[in-house]
Amino acid sequence: MSKMSKEMIHLLGNYGHIGFTFVAAIFIGMGGGIYLDQKVFDDRTTPWFTFIGLAFGIAAGFKSLFDIIKQQDKD
Amino acid sequence: MEHPILFISIILEKLGLPIPHGPVGHGLVEQLCAPYMTYTWFTMLFLVVVGKLTLGNLEMVPGKGQNFWEILIGGMDNFFVENMGRDLTDKLFPMIATFALYIAVANLIGLIPGFMSPTSSINTTLALTIIVWITHHIIGIRANGFAYVKHFLGPMPVLIPLMLPIELISNFARLLSLSIRLFGNIMAKETLLGILFMLAGAYFAPLPIMVLGVLVSLVQAMVFVLLTVVYFTQSNEHAH
Repeated sequence: MSKMSKEMIHLLGNYGHIGFTFVAAIFIGMGGGIYLDQKVFDDRTTPWFTFIGLAFGIAAGFKSLFDIIKQQDKD
Repeated sequence: MEHPILFISIILEKLGLPIPHGPVGHGLVEQLCAPYMTYTWFTMLFLVVVGKLTLGNLEMVPGKGQNFWEILIGGMDNFFVENMGRDLTDKLFPMIATFALYIAVANLIGLIPGFMSPTSSINTTLALTIIVWITHHIIGIRANGFAYVKHFLGPMPVLIPLMLPIELISNFARLLSLSIRLFGNIMAKETLLGILFMLAGAYFAPLPIMVLGVLVSLVQAMVFVLLTVVYFTQSNEHAH
């Protein structure tokens, strides 16, 4: 494999999943919050765990971006 | 949308087996005859038969078939060693190389009319992803023992209540993003090809998308494998 295409694969692997990972983290965080609200606490805490989960999800999304940058620095 | 013509489903229907009309059927036999299942078996059969035909008798001076596999397997081996080191590669090469070959072939057969990509069903990609996800935790636990928990605790003890949910969420996000990326790309390719065949198949309208489809298929297979390697490497190393 030539040098060029090898570097291309690395770039694709490292950066091609930024968007998906970010969105997936937010969805999982918020989904977990909604689950806690509706199934575990039976709507007694309704908006709160959703918001907390959303906040954690967004934080997790930014953390995964940060991880990608850190990993690129290491290479 | 127009139902695509899938020749294995037609053959099975002629044989009297039930073919599901939705994405997934009811009952065991109908689920086993779902198109993504039959084409998964077709891909497996293809890989086994081609491997047997080209590598049936190994020679010292390789012929055409053996040469191809030697270059492919050697290239993959070098690539894995560069990224995750000799030890881990020796342990995990069969699994990751199988994933690479399977995903590449499964993506590419969708370009032939009458075939579909098994990877355009979320069931297939989620199954592959769950295997990778569980394996990377097993590797982490085997390499680090109980200290593997430190991967999820962040840099300082004070931040544990904050970092633990964040790390867990971003770990589960891997499961979602790895499966949905492969599924989404291949499903988009299949659907677009189907629509273009239906609208203007006589005027070769799907041809440019087919060229892009070859590219997307190979790139997605590579990205899946590269991310698998990256996850294995990360869980194998010590927590900071």
